[in-house]
Amino acid sequence: MSHLSTDRLAALGDEAPTPVEAAHLASCEACAREHAAYRALVTMAHEERGAIGIPLTRFEAIASALVADQIVVAPAARPVGQPARTRSFLRTPMRAAAGFLLLAGGAVAGRVSAGVSPLPFVRDSATAVASSSANLPTSIDSTNFASIEDARNAQLHSEARYQQAAAYLAEHDTTVAGEGSPVAYRSRLAALDQVISTTREAMRQAPHDPVINGYYLTTLGQREATLRQLNTVLPASLRANSF
Amino acid sequence: MENEQLTVQRALAGDQAAMRALWTRHAPHVDVVVRRLVGHDPDLAADIAQEVWIQIFRALPSFRGDAQFGTWAHRIAVNRTLNALRRTRRMASVEVDVEDDTASVEPEGERALLAASIEEAAAKLSPGARTVFLLHDVEGYTHEEIAAELGITAGGSKSQLFKARAKLRVLLAHLVDAPANTKFQPESSHVAPLY
Repeated sequence: MSHLSTDRLAALGDEAPTPVEAAHLASCEACAREHAAYRALVTMAHEERGAIGIPLTRFEAIASALVADQIVVAPAARPVGQPARTRSFLRTPMRAAAGFLLLAGGAVAGRVSAGVSPLPFVRDSATAVASSSANLPTSIDSTNFASIEDARNAQLHSEARYQQAAAYLAEHDTTVAGEGSPVAYRSRLAALDQVISTTREAMRQAPHDPVINGYYLTTLGQREATLRQLNTVLPASLRANSF
Repeated sequence: MENEQLTVQRALAGDQAAMRALWTRHAPHVDVVVRRLVGHDPDLAADIAQEVWIQIFRALPSFRGDAQFGTWAHRIAVNRTLNALRRTRRMASVEVDVEDDTASVEPEGERALLAASIEEAAAKLSPGARTVFLLHDVEGYTHEEIAAELGITAGGSKSQLFKARAKLRVLLAHLVDAPANTKFQPESSHVAPLY
């Protein structure tokens, strides 16, 4: 048979050849080479599907637009007694466990992401970081809130501020050794994955616990932020799609 | 993700932390779709991406959970981006582009314009051909779905795809060509095809 047309070769990028075409491809190296090139092209295109990039959007701008469009209510304007979060209260032991998980997981993620041992008894540079927090209040003053809603709004605000601060520090703080290197980001991702795995397990037992939910979401956010940071330090030809 | 439905439910209740979590998880995928379809106009891409996310959250009550949230959001991103591009009249001549976009490229001339990546190569296609190629080969749409999205026939979509691939095959020759087999000796009666 004559050579396959360009259109037909292009179609064979993801279609199966007929028996006659297959026989020709087996005997004609020129067509076989073109066939292989088109299949490589389609494979390249498929691989693009999983690619990610630095987001074009900022959540703060989206949230403002949603509030302006009255799709969501601004936290401060939400009527008292109409919480944004699902109300669900756990038994005291579970809440205590959730609190412990929050603190312990945060400590582990923080220490690992800072490039130090996750174990607190291994003395290292993290000790200095920890000591710098000595000027923070040593006890939680629960009298600063006028109502549950007030406290909840403060919690939402603090979560948002925490994520912003973490993102800022991750981008600008160059004082931590190893920060900004692919190895550091990969280590942080590994630590965050462990925390996500633990919180996911906790969520199976207490799917509506606001503490675990909040921590799970924060960790997911940190993971995605780290993934994007990793992509910024990898060579242009490499992109991390998932871990 | 098994707990994403819960996050969606919290977002539906107006929980901005949950909305942020959905955005954080999916923006790297959703925004890249917008950027890809828009091409080399980062300002327009950013505007459309913002529209896409507002539409995603606006449409959240219609998310039934029978597909992954990411898949659902991806569809909204494609649909909204194509609508936005139509508005800016970038897609007004899709049908014309299908017919005008020819695969007959001059191999030597095109070799001077080799592209470093599939994204760069696709940017050299006409808007219509680029859109069909991206929707089919990258985003995984069928020709019937593309036809419905773009208001063309499935046959027109196929024709445009093959022409796009032919052009990309030349532009990306250095990436898709296997090393030449130097032992190959074409038969004298076998005339080499023109690609």
